[in-house]
Amino acid sequence: MPQMGFVEQLGIGALMTIQVAVLSYLLALAIGTVFALATLKRRLPVDVIWQTYASIFTGVPSLLVAFLFYYAGSGMIASLFSLVGLSVTVDVSPFAAAVAALGMVYGAYLADIIRSAIQNVPPGQFEAARVLLVPRPTAWLFVILPQVLRLALPAMTNMWIVVLKDTALISLIGLKEIMAYAKLASGVTKEPFIYYMLASVFFLGMTALTYVVSQRIEQWTQRGYRPVAAKERAHAL
Amino acid sequence: MHYDPILAWQSMPDLLAGTATTFAVLLPVLVLGLLLALPIALARLETGPKAKAAAGYIAFFRGVPSLVLLYLVYSGLPQLSIVRDTFLWTFFSNAYFCAWVGLTLTHSGYMAEIIRGGLAAVPTGVIEASTALGLTPRQTLFRLRLPMAARYVLKAYQNELLIMVKSTSAVSAITLVDLTAAANTVFDYTYDPFTPLVTAAAIYWCIVNLMRTGFTLADRKLNRHLART
Repeated sequence: MPQMGFVEQLGIGALMTIQVAVLSYLLALAIGTVFALATLKRRLPVDVIWQTYASIFTGVPSLLVAFLFYYAGSGMIASLFSLVGLSVTVDVSPFAAAVAALGMVYGAYLADIIRSAIQNVPPGQFEAARVLLVPRPTAWLFVILPQVLRLALPAMTNMWIVVLKDTALISLIGLKEIMAYAKLASGVTKEPFIYYMLASVFFLGMTALTYVVSQRIEQWTQRGYRPVAAKERAHAL
Repeated sequence: MHYDPILAWQSMPDLLAGTATTFAVLLPVLVLGLLLALPIALARLETGPKAKAAAGYIAFFRGVPSLVLLYLVYSGLPQLSIVRDTFLWTFFSNAYFCAWVGLTLTHSGYMAEIIRGGLAAVPTGVIEASTALGLTPRQTLFRLRLPMAARYVLKAYQNELLIMVKSTSAVSAITLVDLTAAANTVFDYTYDPFTPLVTAAAIYWCIVNLMRTGFTLADRKLNRHLART
């Protein structure tokens, strides 16, 4: 049987996992939105930056990125600042390294998702907003964004689960989250099976919760949306 | 913080040995995962308790991080005496075996869902036609449904394969020295984190992009009957 003290620690670790996952996802969302908007029109310099960024961060395991940020992060920041003649010493905590690594890696994926959602908003919506002289910020915020949300939500939900699960992997850089505590408890009690099962129950519970919440949000984003005779895709998966 | 090409060159044998371990973990997982996923995908398409069981399998192994599965197999299962005191122990005391089992379970969960999607996309007219022509269900499956599904799911399989390449970095947690772990070992010896980690990242990048190119070529060959978009 699991001991209550260790289960409590597992709970503290779970809170840490959620914290890291939420912050990473928000960072990824910010990076993704910026890149999606910047690459909406094809311009050469922006395109080169985006292609390089996406190629690097989708081609390398997030664990390796996290190791790099954790061990070499302070050195990288110091040499960045020394370019402008400042000497800065920053200590990179496992928390910061994990959030930065996950945020930057999944920002690359979210940028693709958000951009294709914006491109899939019917062009008539943009034209109608311009013809009706709706100010640009208002048009983006109240006409385009709700539709982008509806189109991008399924893929964004999947990405959130991927980020949450990757947070477990990132514990290897020394983050005190649920896997670290599960490992600690298994080492002390010599009952690894039960604690790792508890950890899997946590992740399954979070996945289930995600589906419940995402369905609510999906219903909300589809208010007032009545598809007119859905076109059949030739190559639907 | 600067990149040291001499150290990168000197640590190359270690990193390449790590790359070999990465592939030794990856390749059996891809084969076993695919073989395991097929019956699960077929069960998922049926109705009744078999479909429920398959859905549960997919939900469990897609919902649990691969690191948790690796720990469960590597240090969790030996707690059970049926694993520790029987012939099973010869397998489960081997870290490679545990890595194969853990990652295969994750991979098969994702692959079952991908294959199911592909099979569901095969037009019913094709199946009706093959039944009308007197093909057995087995022939229909292997000669029509699976080859067609393979073309539909190529893109999804590419994504899953690249995710698996990157997931293998988790096996360093169960004592295997893969590419990520090899880079960390070099860092331990030399106190230079930047050079070995960036070199390892470059090797991963090459592997991933070679695979992407391979998939683009396969897509061009298999889907040449479709109009380019």
